[in-house]
Amino acid sequence: MYVTNGIVIGVINAISAIGVSLIVGIMKVVNFAHGELYIFAGYFSYHLSISLGLHPLLAMPLSVFLVFVIGLVMEKTLIRPTYGDDMYSLIITFVLSIVLQNAALLIFGPYPNKPPSLVTGATNILGFFHYGNQRLVSFFISLGILFFIFYLIKKTWFGKSIRAVSQDREMSGLMGVDHYRINMLSFGLGAALAGAAGVILAPIFPVTPSSSSAVSLTAFVVVVLGGMGSLKGCIVGGLVLGIIENLGAAYISTMYRHIFAFVILILVLVFRPWGLYGQKT
Amino acid sequence: MKHREKWKRVDGPARIFVLILSLVVWNEIMDGKKTVFLILLLILAIFPPFVLSQYWLHVMIISLFYVMMASSWNLLAGFTGQVSFAHAAFSGVGAYLSGMLAVFLGLSPWLGIAAGTLGAAILGLGLGFLCIRMGGIYLSLTTLGFSEILRIVITNEDHWTRGTMGLQIPGLFAAYSKTSYYFAFLFFAVMMLVFIYWLIRSEWGVTFRAVLNDEIAASASGINTIRVRILAFTLTSAMAGLAGGLYGHYLMLITPDIPSLGQMFLVLAMAVIGGMGSFAGPIIGSFILEFLSEYIRTWGEYHVLLYGLIALAMARFAPEGIMGLWANKRRNP
Repeated sequence: MYVTNGIVIGVINAISAIGVSLIVGIMKVVNFAHGELYIFAGYFSYHLSISLGLHPLLAMPLSVFLVFVIGLVMEKTLIRPTYGDDMYSLIITFVLSIVLQNAALLIFGPYPNKPPSLVTGATNILGFFHYGNQRLVSFFISLGILFFIFYLIKKTWFGKSIRAVSQDREMSGLMGVDHYRINMLSFGLGAALAGAAGVILAPIFPVTPSSSSAVSLTAFVVVVLGGMGSLKGCIVGGLVLGIIENLGAAYISTMYRHIFAFVILILVLVFRPWGLYGQKT
Repeated sequence: MKHREKWKRVDGPARIFVLILSLVVWNEIMDGKKTVFLILLLILAIFPPFVLSQYWLHVMIISLFYVMMASSWNLLAGFTGQVSFAHAAFSGVGAYLSGMLAVFLGLSPWLGIAAGTLGAAILGLGLGFLCIRMGGIYLSLTTLGFSEILRIVITNEDHWTRGTMGLQIPGLFAAYSKTSYYFAFLFFAVMMLVFIYWLIRSEWGVTFRAVLNDEIAASASGINTIRVRILAFTLTSAMAGLAGGLYGHYLMLITPDIPSLGQMFLVLAMAVIGGMGSFAGPIIGSFILEFLSEYIRTWGEYHVLLYGLIALAMARFAPEGIMGLWANKRRNP
């Protein structure tokens, strides 16, 4: 039961972490506003489906698209001028996370909001235990997104240019890759993945403006655990963290579920600082 | 006549600002020496307890706390290029360690502050040792995590820390007086600033900036960049611990707000708006933002949003902050 929960959460962790990892791998920028984008997506899907009465299946992709656009605008206006200056991009995304968090508080209010579920009830899994249908549906949607991302990165021209830029920016520029466009699109894609995790998880765990830092933290730990810039690492790291957090919360203390993440982060830094699948440089 | 009436309606802090501003302008016009200006400023710093109301004296004390925080953070970020998000967390370590030693062991606050400073330094050394060799991004991620975790632990371990209710701790002086606190804060702030000033103008300062500007060239010329970075991180963490210890014993009620990311953001905004990488920038930024937040207190929490937007605009269009704008104006008037 706890392991199943861990796997479901782990897959969603992986989606969120891939969003961070893509941006780190390609632009060497850590998006500290990641959790806020997640929160915004959750609120968008709540308001689109409750206040505007759209069907949840329509509201979810629409909110992800909105967050994608926010990501594009962020990259174009704020991140692009800081290329090559790691320090300012860290400062700017951190300030941005505070601004967005307070903006969310101002726009959406401090109360937890929960978009409607797609399905109700529970299914009996292999005769062992009953499991919420909403969580199962979330699991399969997340798997679908993961496959889509892998297809996008490994098989399409866009993915090829992303990998080229992350390996050697100047060389790929010489080969005719417009890396400004690639940067902008991949930042938008990273934001959209945060948004996807947000809309999938919001019906299970309601969103509040203050829950954003935990989301960012989880994503960062997964990225460090898996190795910066590695997609495979994100999935394995996401699953490991999801399972450990759920087992820890069940058997030790629920208050401290994020402590486990931090302990893992410290252990990784001590024993294998380049992560599970990262490159040792 | 009208002007005189207007002057009367201006309250204490605004008068001080007008005085300092005229001092700066006078210094500019007379092309005066820096030392003369600094001595005048120090003499001026003696007066606030005698001319300000208790309320504005409190604001002055808080500003001095932020001066210590923003200047030491600037020493790390502006001079060695490492962005730590645990500065507020280290001040929380100082405040809680000192406060809990005083409450549970009855230790004198002064010894407690020393212990808090040491504790922050040791934690800083440990964290720095773990992640600095992996590069700047790792430091930022780990310190952010550390900051959140510390806040969660303090909030949850409420039988020791009383959680969000806040822990009541004794003050620094037997008799409560804002004047003595003001001078204590002034003393430590000036000492810290003198130390930072000495450091950035010594050989160490050159090393720090070498690490900031070109890591490869620095290591090629025989500087152990990792050791320099760890040293800077440990030193500034200790400074944050000291400032936090003083702050805790001044407030006499410590809450998990001290090591929060919101507090971290304020310190960062002060340094960024004042001007990172300059000595005077964070000092000016601290006073401006702290006094400004007293004036817009009625806006409630939205002042964080406002500061965030200002800081974003500054980081985007004037990365050297107010000091950078000032220097530009002087170079091409």
